[in-house]
Amino acid sequence: MLRRTCAVIAFGWLLCVAPATGAAQDLRKHGEYLFRAAGCATCHTNEKNRGAPLAGGRALKTPFGVFYTPNITPDPETGIGRWSEADFTRALRAGVSPEGQHYYPAFPYPSYARMRDEDVRVLWAYLSKAKPVRRANKPHELLWFVRYRPLLGFWKALFFRPGPYQSRSDRTEIWNRGAYLANAVGHCGECHTPRNLLGGMKERMAMAGTRAGPEGDPIPNITPHKTSGIGRWRESDLMEYFDSGMMPDGDFAGDIMAEVVDNSLRHLTQDDRRAIAGYILSLPPVDNPVRKEKKNTDSDF
Amino acid sequence: MTKHDVRKRFIELGAAVFAVALPLGLQASDPQDIIKYRQAVMKANGGHLAAAGAIIQGKVDEHQGQLAEHVRAVQAINKDIPALFPDGSDLGETKALEAVWNKRADFEKRAKDTREKSEALAKAVSGGDNKIIVARLKELQDACKACHKDFRKEEKKK
Ligand code: HEC
Ligand code: HEC
Ligand code: HEC
Repeated sequence: MLRRTCAVIAFGWLLCVAPATGAAQDLRKHGEYLFRAAGCATCHTNEKNRGAPLAGGRALKTPFGVFYTPNITPDPETGIGRWSEADFTRALRAGVSPEGQHYYPAFPYPSYARMRDEDVRVLWAYLSKAKPVRRANKPHELLWFVRYRPLLGFWKALFFRPGPYQSRSDRTEIWNRGAYLANAVGHCGECHTPRNLLGGMKERMAMAGTRAGPEGDPIPNITPHKTSGIGRWRESDLMEYFDSGMMPDGDFAGDIMAEVVDNSLRHLTQDDRRAIAGYILSLPPVDNPVRKEKKNTDSDF
Repeated sequence: MTKHDVRKRFIELGAAVFAVALPLGLQASDPQDIIKYRQAVMKANGGHLAAAGAIIQGKVDEHQGQLAEHVRAVQAINKDIPALFPDGSDLGETKALEAVWNKRADFEKRAKDTREKSEALAKAVSGGDNKIIVARLKELQDACKACHKDFRKEEKKK
């Protein structure tokens, strides 16, 4: 069964090459790898306040109010211990809870919906074996006009496109791998792509940065534009950044991007980091100056 | 009072004003200048570490001889990072978060960690074992990133 699953996964996760012995362990490792790549812990572990892994409670301060991430450990009372795999799949694929309620896109399911069925399955296999932690969810504190969940149906009708990532036949396998990792799993666009007034992503400006990211702060343009993006970075620069957080000028990733590096990117294989880097540098360069100051200019007293 | 006395008084007064103002002046540099200064120092920090990294990763073998210099510079710069962030240097064109001053103990812990890691890298470089050097470089990079994670923002909200 695992053999077949692995064969189906188009771009062979490294771990699937392993022989069928210790299959359960391989599955777990594969699940953990995906879990890292998807950065679930960044939001669902309240690291700053030393919260238990995946027990939620991290505050995400957005212009619409404060979201408190839920407990996604398998605790039956306060977590998702009573969920079936189908419930989980629906949450990621459709952004709908087991009770049929819409989720807010603060949970980046619009990206995760692009994940392949096999990967969602493996992720569930991993998550459902995590350590259960009892911690009741804290209700979000949102502005009145976004409190009513059914309205999210309209948002979804406008901006949410379900369905897994479709490989492009005019591109190489490694490019498709990078696109899949960046868009479906790593959800880079959730932060780096600017949004319209209603919170829908501006597809034409993919990864072009924004002055008001998810938490209201500026997010840099990572398209390969020479002046306003990262056009001067080479593939190896990006790979270094994904591994250590160091930029070509020796500056270090800060803020949430440091968490993305720590929790996700540094745990990937070198091949996967290369795939993401190659994909990012293949994007159309968009001139969108997000930074007020030009970086790397000399300081004058 | 003679004219001479007046002049003497004047000079005395001037000296007194000068004596009081000089140390005050030293303390109260323009905050924006302090910020610019520390950014310049931090840029040097980055420059030397990026250069050291390139050498360690074997990208520029012709500069192998400079490695110790770069690492010594990094070690010197990281001796006392908190001194670059005195009280009152929080407002202006800075990416330093309020937490630098509000959570000073945590900030100083990060700085101490970085100092120790840069000393360890310098030691590894004089030891000459590339595997150890690579490992110490990684640890130092982690230390830099750990501080930026909590105390530096892409751009501060106004
Ligand atoms: C950017 C932050 C963020 C990331 C990353 C994230 N989540 Fe969430 N997640 C949320 C928020 C916020 C909610 C609550 C949404 C709501 O209330 O509508 C949520 C809700 C959920 C729920 C529903 C829980 C419930 O009790 O109904 C599940 C399951 C979940 N996330 C799983 C995951 C998994 C698995 C990953 C990684 C693949 C992940 N999340 C990554 C922010 C995040
Ligand atoms: C104790 C905290 C701390 C440590 C440790 C630290 N930094 Fe920084 N760094 C900062 C802060 C805060 C800023 C923002 C300063 C400002 O804008 O006023 C910064 C800014 C920078 C900048 C950008 C300067 C500019 O204005 O362009 C570079 C480059 C940099 N650091 C490199 C490093 C390197 C390399 C290390 C490790 C050897 C390091 N930092 C360790 C806190 C730290
Ligand atoms: C949770 C939000 C978030 C996510 C998700 C995210 N980023 Fe970032 N990214 C940021 C922020 C914020 C910065 C600025 C970091 C800083 O202050 O040093 C940044 C910086 C960067 C930079 C450096 C750009 C520059 O000019 O300094 C690159 C490259 C980058 N991100 C790539 C990615 C990739 C690739 C992904 C997906 C795998 C990703 N990011 C996912 C928020 C995010």
